[in-house]
Amino acid sequence: MTAALEFQGVHKSFDGNPALVDAFFIAERGEVHALLGENGAGKSTLMNIACGLYSPDHGVVQVNGEPVVIDGPMTANSLGIGMVHQHFKLVENMTVAENIAICHMSSSGRESLNAVRKRIGEASRDIGFEIDPDRRIDTLSVSEQQRTEIIKVMMGGADILILDEPTAVLTDEESTRLLDQLKSFAQQGKGVILITHKLREVFSHADKVTVMRAGATVEASCDPGELTPVELSRLMVGEAAPSESLELRTGGDVVLELKNISAKRANGTTALDDLSITLRAGQVYGLAGVGGNGQTELAETLMGIRHIESGEFTLGGQVLKRPTPRELRRKGVKTIPAERYIYGLAGDLSVMDNFVVSHLSSGTFGPAWWINRRAILRGTLEAIQEYEILGAGPATRARLMSGGNAQKLVLAREMSGDSRVLLAHSPTRGLDVRACAAVHEYLRDACKRDVAILLISEDLDEVLAVSDRVGIINRGRLVGEFDAPVAREAVGQLMVGHA
Amino acid sequence: MQALSLSFLRSRRLTIEVRQKIHLVPRIAIIVGAVLFGLGICIAILVSRDVDVASIYDEFIVFTFLNAYGVSTVVVHSTPLVLVGLAAAMAFRVNYWNIGIEGQLFMGVIGCTVIAYYDIGPEFLRLPLMFIFSLLFGALWALPSALLKLRLNINEVISTLLLNYIAYYIVLNQVFGPWRDPKDNFPHSPAYDDFERLPKVGWEDVHYGIVGVALAFAFVWWVIERSRFGIQSRFVSANPRMVVAIGLPLSVITLISALSSGALAGMAGFTIAAATEGRLTFQLAGGYGFSGIVIAFLSGNRPLIVVVVAFLMGGLYVAGESMKVFYSLPDALVGLFQAIIVLSVTASEFFARYRLRMAHYERV
Amino acid sequence: MEFLTHWLAFTPVFALPLIVASLGLIVNERAGLLNLGAEGIMLCGALVGVAAFLEFDGNAALGFIFAILTGTFLGFCFGFFVVVLRTNQVLTGITFVFLGAGLTGLIGIPWVNKAFSAIDPIHIPYLTGIPVIGRFFFGQDFIVYITIGLSILVWRFLYHTRTGLRMRAVGENPQAADAAGINVGGYRLLAASIGGAFIGLAGGYLSLVVAKIFVLDMTQGRGWIAVALVIFSRWRPWRAVLGGLLFGGIEALIPRLQATGVPIPQYFLAMAPYAVTLVVLIYAAVQIRAGQDAPRALGVPYVREDRK
Repeated sequence: MTAALEFQGVHKSFDGNPALVDAFFIAERGEVHALLGENGAGKSTLMNIACGLYSPDHGVVQVNGEPVVIDGPMTANSLGIGMVHQHFKLVENMTVAENIAICHMSSSGRESLNAVRKRIGEASRDIGFEIDPDRRIDTLSVSEQQRTEIIKVMMGGADILILDEPTAVLTDEESTRLLDQLKSFAQQGKGVILITHKLREVFSHADKVTVMRAGATVEASCDPGELTPVELSRLMVGEAAPSESLELRTGGDVVLELKNISAKRANGTTALDDLSITLRAGQVYGLAGVGGNGQTELAETLMGIRHIESGEFTLGGQVLKRPTPRELRRKGVKTIPAERYIYGLAGDLSVMDNFVVSHLSSGTFGPAWWINRRAILRGTLEAIQEYEILGAGPATRARLMSGGNAQKLVLAREMSGDSRVLLAHSPTRGLDVRACAAVHEYLRDACKRDVAILLISEDLDEVLAVSDRVGIINRGRLVGEFDAPVAREAVGQLMVGHA
Repeated sequence: MQALSLSFLRSRRLTIEVRQKIHLVPRIAIIVGAVLFGLGICIAILVSRDVDVASIYDEFIVFTFLNAYGVSTVVVHSTPLVLVGLAAAMAFRVNYWNIGIEGQLFMGVIGCTVIAYYDIGPEFLRLPLMFIFSLLFGALWALPSALLKLRLNINEVISTLLLNYIAYYIVLNQVFGPWRDPKDNFPHSPAYDDFERLPKVGWEDVHYGIVGVALAFAFVWWVIERSRFGIQSRFVSANPRMVVAIGLPLSVITLISALSSGALAGMAGFTIAAATEGRLTFQLAGGYGFSGIVIAFLSGNRPLIVVVVAFLMGGLYVAGESMKVFYSLPDALVGLFQAIIVLSVTASEFFARYRLRMAHYERV
Repeated sequence: MEFLTHWLAFTPVFALPLIVASLGLIVNERAGLLNLGAEGIMLCGALVGVAAFLEFDGNAALGFIFAILTGTFLGFCFGFFVVVLRTNQVLTGITFVFLGAGLTGLIGIPWVNKAFSAIDPIHIPYLTGIPVIGRFFFGQDFIVYITIGLSILVWRFLYHTRTGLRMRAVGENPQAADAAGINVGGYRLLAASIGGAFIGLAGGYLSLVVAKIFVLDMTQGRGWIAVALVIFSRWRPWRAVLGGLLFGGIEALIPRLQATGVPIPQYFLAMAPYAVTLVVLIYAAVQIRAGQDAPRALGVPYVREDRK
């Protein structure tokens, strides 16, 4: 039986950074095929090629055995490929009917909006979903929005249905209902591709599973019935790397406490759910978890750009109400952000500017009306030396630095001056081995200076290697806490398991 | 053969990619090339109006820049241009689109005319007072838009623009009404007294306004290069999201930039009124608003380059003036040329910012 | 009574350029384009309208047609810069204003300051004579009645046709539109051209009917007021009509007041439209703060492979 959708030898990089390396994937009709992997593994990128949003640099894509060129969503549609994305492609200000009409209304006004409404009614009855076509998208619940997306895709005549992390935003009950529905689609002869990182779903509903890691396919088209959860999670997160030796630090006084904090995302889903974390001076608390489980919202809270809806934020014994970024920085809470060039550095400005900007208010580099350029230059050169920032001088534009050195610059800035708390969010993302080791070394140095460190990372190896205490976040809740040394498999399971 | 070549085409696809690194030299080359291209179009327009190329060369290069009197005229014209250029630069570098420079310029003139008309202060203080009031009025006229933007997120482009028109009508009201010159009943204010005028430095018509320019340049340079505010404000255009995250005071930065922009525009008004015109008229703004925007844009908001570009723009103005007279060309010509050059340069940025790539599908 | 009748009768005339331009800008902005060059495009439309009228022996229809064509072309050019070359929308728009002023100044000399009488208002035997409101409703020229149709057309277009819905989607969420296979750039170019057509018509009406002459820089900021009006109307066509009538009323009031010798300084009266626009903007901003009316992707260029 020819495969419904097949990828062979697909490469894709974004402006020099590889996202897919020799990836392959085969999906057949009549089954639910799970595409499993951590964040950044390449699953979404691969499927985005299938639905025409990205084009591969090299490789072959085949639909029903025929090589195809999918140059846009329209072509994907005509090939019978329909995708429901993780971030819904719905226009919030418009109604369900209008959203579906922009795709499926026949042109030249031959068909009126009313006719589209009728068709939606028919389609939703066929599929078994209920949806009111006249409601605006922003009044719908998340699972209703998802149903709208599915109806939209099905009405387009999709034969191959791709869903990207569909249960991430659903409750248990809704998830089960959806997965059952997907199984019945498969039984009707359609090909269903389920992108997920949840083992539970793979075992409960998938007929086949393909695992991807770091842009490559690790294991293709296995039968979940023949694998144990342990084996599968090992395929996903990789072999245990030799851990760096660690003297256990029990940590000093409590510096920062987050008690029972909750927060919601813009689309209404829960990001943080009654989470409590305690940071102690001189200790690294590592928060492990698959991306998208609340880490970003937690980081934003510590940066001061997000306000918690309930719970308490205590720093040095004092409760902070709605702290601003300025206030937090002044009180010694520093951040190494995950998105280097969004919150960390201004790419078009020099290394000097980027280094010195948060220290200006302290007066170390001169009064407000006459900054001391020599002192700035000296300070920058010292930092460059101390943190071994290579390939850049004080006047170099930040954008031209390699990832590792840019990160060292952020570190240099955040760690100088008085710091009590350091949030390191994915600090070694995109860095080579040497740069990683250097960053970890600096984190340990900071510990020696009694800084309390919160390390949020999707790289389990990193968390285990550096942390004194490990917590696992899953769907916004803290599902486990361990003191080092930590059993890798226990953590891995909690990460990909079910909260 | 036919099928093969078609499928070859179909398997390639042109896409646009955002460049991550933009190197300085090619970037400057692109801008210079675009300027020259724009100038080429302008010359073509002149030629189509029966102006011969030799005259163009004479007017724009020889008489303007290679001639002592010409250069002095250019300096006089450039004086307010540098100031409006700096005014625009101060605002644009923090992404505050102050299009109301012309209105602020007019209010600056009203400010110094207030002092002159009502004879406020002793004679030796008159000129300094006029200077201060022009800055004050210019800044005050920039204030409402800034507040509206910060408080209500009202687009400053429209609010500053509307204030332009209102300022213009205030001026008209004054020169046709209470401040009308009783001597000749023309719609302008009475001429300033001698001590209320900027004296000449001794080289043709060049006046002490250039001291004001030097001061303004020094001020702007100091703010951008040597003050804490200067470094902090760089981040507003370079990475606006980082500004809040890193705790920089965005509102204060925007406000200071808007007010200094207005003050500089007011100063420009002062140099025109106190030196060249010697009174308040409604015709003295002459497209300085847009010129300021163009100068700031072409110089990338850098003070030193603003001076250079303003000087060249002054040359364009001077040559344009005499061409208008000799070849009966319309007033709007200079504005048109500026618009053409700006469009050319802004279009060329496409090549600096984006890269065209071929995606490649292999055939089995 | 006379005063009221005259004032009401002339309000639609003054209102029309603003209403038509606003309708065009609504189409633009719904697709995500902030066209600040409206002022310049309107001016060019005004010139070409008069030029065509004069050159073709007083043919008003041709005048309007040429004005519309000019506006469409200039709107398309603006769209090209902003959509294809992805230039900054604010800067490009402002530059188009001065481009328009410059071009009309350069090319327009033969048709400047040549007054004429153009279009007569219609006269329905009994209805037009109704006191006070008769002329307001039944004594306008045909373009005014067409405009009523236009505003309904724009509303239907944006809310009931596939093209219009797609255009709105492009302005609200270009990523969603792209994923649905909609050519984001193409729809924006279309919107720019349609908007330009409307703005050109507004300019043509301004010179052919309102002023009955072409004078340099005659738009006097109406393009900007239209931009403000769109914000005030919160991007809904029928509100733009109401807002335009309000402004038209103010503009029509000025000569009436001057005629009756009211002792308000002339230039303060002239200032009124701009001051009122500011007030209106403030009012709208306070309202908008509460809701979410602006098209979400207004003013932002779209690059599909721009992976942040």
